Amino acid sequence: MFDLRLPIGIFFAILGIILVASPGERAVLTTVPVNLYAGAAMLLFGGAMLWLASRKS
Amino acid sequence: MSLGSIDYGILALYFLFVLAIGLLLRRKMESSEDFLTSRHSVPVWITSLAFLAANLGAQEVVGMCASGAKYGLMTADFYWIGAVPAMIFVGVFMMPFYYGSRARSVPEYLRLRFDEKTRVLNAAAFAVMTLFSSGVSMYALGKLFELVLGWDFTRSVLLSALIVLVYTFLGGLTSAIYNEVLQFFLIVLGFAPLAILAVLRIGGWRAMAARLPAVMTNIWRYAGSTSQNPMGVEAFGLIAGLGFVLSFGYWCTDFLVVQRAMAADSMSAARRTPLIAAFPKMILPFIVIVPGIAAVALMHMGVGYSLPLKNGGYDYDQALTTLMTKLYPSGMLGVGLTALMASFMSGMAGNVTAFNTVFTYDLYQGHIRRNAPDRHYLWVGRASTVGGVALSIAAAYLAREYNNIMDVLQLVFSFVNAPLFATFLLGMFWKRATGHGAFTGLLAGTGAAALTHGWTVAEGKGGWIMNLHSFPSTMAQNFWIAIFAWSTCFLVTIFVSLATAPKQTEELRGLVYGVTEIPHDKLEPWYKRPGPLALVVGAALIALNLIFW
Repeated sequence: MFDLRLPIGIFFAILGIILVASPGERAVLTTVPVNLYAGAAMLLFGGAMLWLASRKS
Repeated sequence: MSLGSIDYGILALYFLFVLAIGLLLRRKMESSEDFLTSRHSVPVWITSLAFLAANLGAQEVVGMCASGAKYGLMTADFYWIGAVPAMIFVGVFMMPFYYGSRARSVPEYLRLRFDEKTRVLNAAAFAVMTLFSSGVSMYALGKLFELVLGWDFTRSVLLSALIVLVYTFLGGLTSAIYNEVLQFFLIVLGFAPLAILAVLRIGGWRAMAARLPAVMTNIWRYAGSTSQNPMGVEAFGLIAGLGFVLSFGYWCTDFLVVQRAMAADSMSAARRTPLIAAFPKMILPFIVIVPGIAAVALMHMGVGYSLPLKNGGYDYDQALTTLMTKLYPSGMLGVGLTALMASFMSGMAGNVTAFNTVFTYDLYQGHIRRNAPDRHYLWVGRASTVGGVALSIAAAYLAREYNNIMDVLQLVFSFVNAPLFATFLLGMFWKRATGHGAFTGLLAGTGAAALTHGWTVAEGKGGWIMNLHSFPSTMAQNFWIAIFAWSTCFLVTIFVSLATAPKQTEELRGLVYGVTEIPHDKLEPWYKRPGPLALVVGAALIALNLIFW
């Protein structure tokens, strides 16, 4: 069976890049750059998954 | 509310990945057991997260947020008194018998332990119930997307059902489980920022508590009597009804969740599955309930947020989605809606993969065609996957047209479910319990549930025989129905068992406590052993209950 951490890592890395690449969007009720922070967190998570997957093989 | 092209892009990316995972697993599906049970091959971290995600459907997420807005933090009782103690119990005490019996499903365990009629009763009720609940959650999702995004009901229902069908048809249970892990992470990363942003906007947890009545941010302080809290429940009903009967009945006997643990690659892994799942389960209230509480506080602040109205009251079911549209910019909004879609799919795929196994092994192989080659059962497994999805869609439309029928069905199922845990408890821990005892106990318990409902009234519900007692809320009524059903089933099973012939001890090997070898793993580190792991979960649980007392 393939290593599930691989597709999960790729998915969240792409998601993170998409969000980080559009930091200008703002929500109605908050001034926080939500896309930037959430995107960075997802990039970090996706990267960690990929690192764990590569370490094993 | 309208979505930007990034948001649609993110949704499409998610669809692509779940389908790809199904496609990658397609070649592994050579026998009916590969397809329906994963053949005890899945690593423990995957089964643990799937165990959790299969239960984390869209209705759960939306409903918990709504309850958070309506009742406050007491909603966390469903996690911190319900759920987690039952998850500890099933992992430590029951999994040795489920996994050790080599049964392929929970109803099959009942056949090995008791007899065929008990199995059929459980299998038939379970099969109908899973389809029905996946239909109802499909309806809820379609309605929500129609309301919030203006998407066409039929189109969103058919598209999401089709995607679930494709990946479960291709990769069976393994595909459902693997995708549930992706969906779980998406749910957490998609919803957690909402709770954080909402509480930050209010000025932190203390500022939020200061803006709300104290009952909204405590779980036990106002549980002394029914009049003190908006749920209308008191501590005994909560602990015995919710914490014991209903939660143990669900987490310890429902094949939907037990199936995930049974797919684990060893007995130890199967036992640790619910225990490892308990850690994220304990954290979930902060992600799904806190946004609801914060929504009420935000509304009091007068910053331009308000819950939509419905029939003269607030429409709490929209708390999650309306908050998202106010706090998520385009981009993150796409992630949030994709997370909602993911929670719906994980719930539905869970239902479908549990249904096809029970249908194929317990109903079809047991009663329609007994000795066919395995290829035939693989085919039936695939066909029942398609049939299950089709019937779910039909149930979704039924729910849309006839709300009342759905309420009645839901009630009947709660009567059938309430006594189940008594049967399993006696079956696993009392050698003397017999098949006749289990069967009559289950019927009597269901009857007791119906009678309790007929004799009591809450919020205008029940009392169709006569009104002997009034409950302050339907929630309190449900808890007490469960308590009566469980006790009746427990006692009737004991009496009838004592009056009927027991099974030989040899036949019960591997199925009952006392004649089953429980594996000991003293040489493993503590985090790989169920006992110590359960103690850590228990300690964390007590700490949470005390902190938010």
